[in-house]
Amino acid sequence: MLEVTNLNAFYSNLHILWDVSLSVGEGEIVTLLGANGAGKTTLVQSLFGFIPRIEGKVVFNGRDVTGMHPYDVVKEGLSLVPEKRELFPKMTVAENLELGGYSRSGDARDLEEIFELFPVLQERKTQLAGTLSGGEQQMLAIARALMAQPSMLILDEPSLGLSPLLVGNVLDTVARLNKDGLSILLVEQNVEHALEISNRAYILENGRIIREGDAQVLLHDDEIRTAYLGF
Amino acid sequence: MVVSPDIALQVVIWGLYAGCIYILLATGLNLIFGVMKIVNFAHGELLMLGAFVTFTFFTISGFNPYVLLAASVPILIVLGVMIERLCFRPILGTGKLNEIFISLGLIYIIQNAAAIIWTDEWRIIHSPYESITISVFGVNMPLDYLIIIITTIAILVALYLFLRKTTLGRAMRATSQNRKGAMLMGINVERMDMISFGIGAGLAGAAGTLWAVSGQVFNPYMGSLPAIKAFAIVIIGGLGSIPGAIIGGLIYGIAENFAIFTLGGAWKDAISFLILILVLIVRPTGIFGESSE
Repeated sequence: MLEVTNLNAFYSNLHILWDVSLSVGEGEIVTLLGANGAGKTTLVQSLFGFIPRIEGKVVFNGRDVTGMHPYDVVKEGLSLVPEKRELFPKMTVAENLELGGYSRSGDARDLEEIFELFPVLQERKTQLAGTLSGGEQQMLAIARALMAQPSMLILDEPSLGLSPLLVGNVLDTVARLNKDGLSILLVEQNVEHALEISNRAYILENGRIIREGDAQVLLHDDEIRTAYLGF
Repeated sequence: MVVSPDIALQVVIWGLYAGCIYILLATGLNLIFGVMKIVNFAHGELLMLGAFVTFTFFTISGFNPYVLLAASVPILIVLGVMIERLCFRPILGTGKLNEIFISLGLIYIIQNAAAIIWTDEWRIIHSPYESITISVFGVNMPLDYLIIIITTIAILVALYLFLRKTTLGRAMRATSQNRKGAMLMGINVERMDMISFGIGAGLAGAAGTLWAVSGQVFNPYMGSLPAIKAFAIVIIGGLGSIPGAIIGGLIYGIAENFAIFTLGGAWKDAISFLILILVLIVRPTGIFGESSE
């Protein structure tokens, strides 16, 4: 479904990503792990055309999307829940959701369907997005991305800044979406929980993929446990 | 000097009229700034072009000059779109200084082009309703003032409905609130830049027609003073806020007229800047502005 081959990314003269290759299959949920500064967000941004200088190839659903404008990538059916959520703070929850369906004019997901998945958003329907709590904002960001009926969803650190209870909540939602057939690339620092719900995982270090494999195997790997779980 | 209530009301209504032209200019500036984060210093020159377009069509056709809004607004929209495509699009994201100098350069390009086309003589046109005075709430005012106030309200209501109720308008607001978020929704943000610049220029064109119809003189170099006042209004109301532009414009128009009445005409242009300084001391982000992150 998503095939990244030998991706290199640069910020002016800085070489951030080095020959990164990864793939996400149909219906799969794959986690990308890595410490702060490993290049996780840069990788996500390069898939969406936010990094001006990239080399390599990104193929989504059989179409070459390398270097496409962000707004064109979204139209291919690949949606992003960005690290900073990037909501429209002075618009209501309902307006944010409606804009989520912008690329699918007339063919967007039903609001009722979204409210079934995220009941809290129905209660907050007429509230301005900027006034929501952190957890609610994260739910809105995910719900908004789903409005475009994507065939694949990328989530960049959805649990960042949330309380442990909410982290479980968000990741359970992600797992449930995957069960409903959505392919998912999950970028996370919450290693244990992310690996539990994933099929496979990649580990990024200093801009390079250093390990990849079955999520359950990595979860029980001593080296990984010491490096990322702290025990 | 004591001002009687009657006269005070008269001055307020005259101020509403004076505020209209500035409100249209300031609203356009805020729309462009909101979406593109560019300050268009050449905005007064677009008003000047609107006045000259009205003048030319008026001379050729002899139509009622208010009808010529149907010429000045579309022509300025097209011009605005061209300016965005040719001048601002190529330098998008290359830094604030480039944007500032492009828009400063545009002032002189547009002024000189206008001087070549229309010469630098002062022009004036006469409204067919020039000699008609009507009484509203016991206040005597020229019919033209009333028409200008109503026209401005109609334009602002139309803009409000466009921004609130249409998909395109919502996409523009989304772009101004969060450009990256807008891109992730599949919104072509460069197209939003183009449309916002077009609408901003169209509003300046409307302001230009109203300027001419109200009997004020104009030549190719007249745009800078109204533009400076519009900038002051933008700052009073809060950068990027359209309600702020409206409130700021009204405060401004009324204050200007009070100054003429009580302190004398020489204070007309100075009073607004005194207000600007006062507002900035009390509330540095403007009345409707928010502190930046």
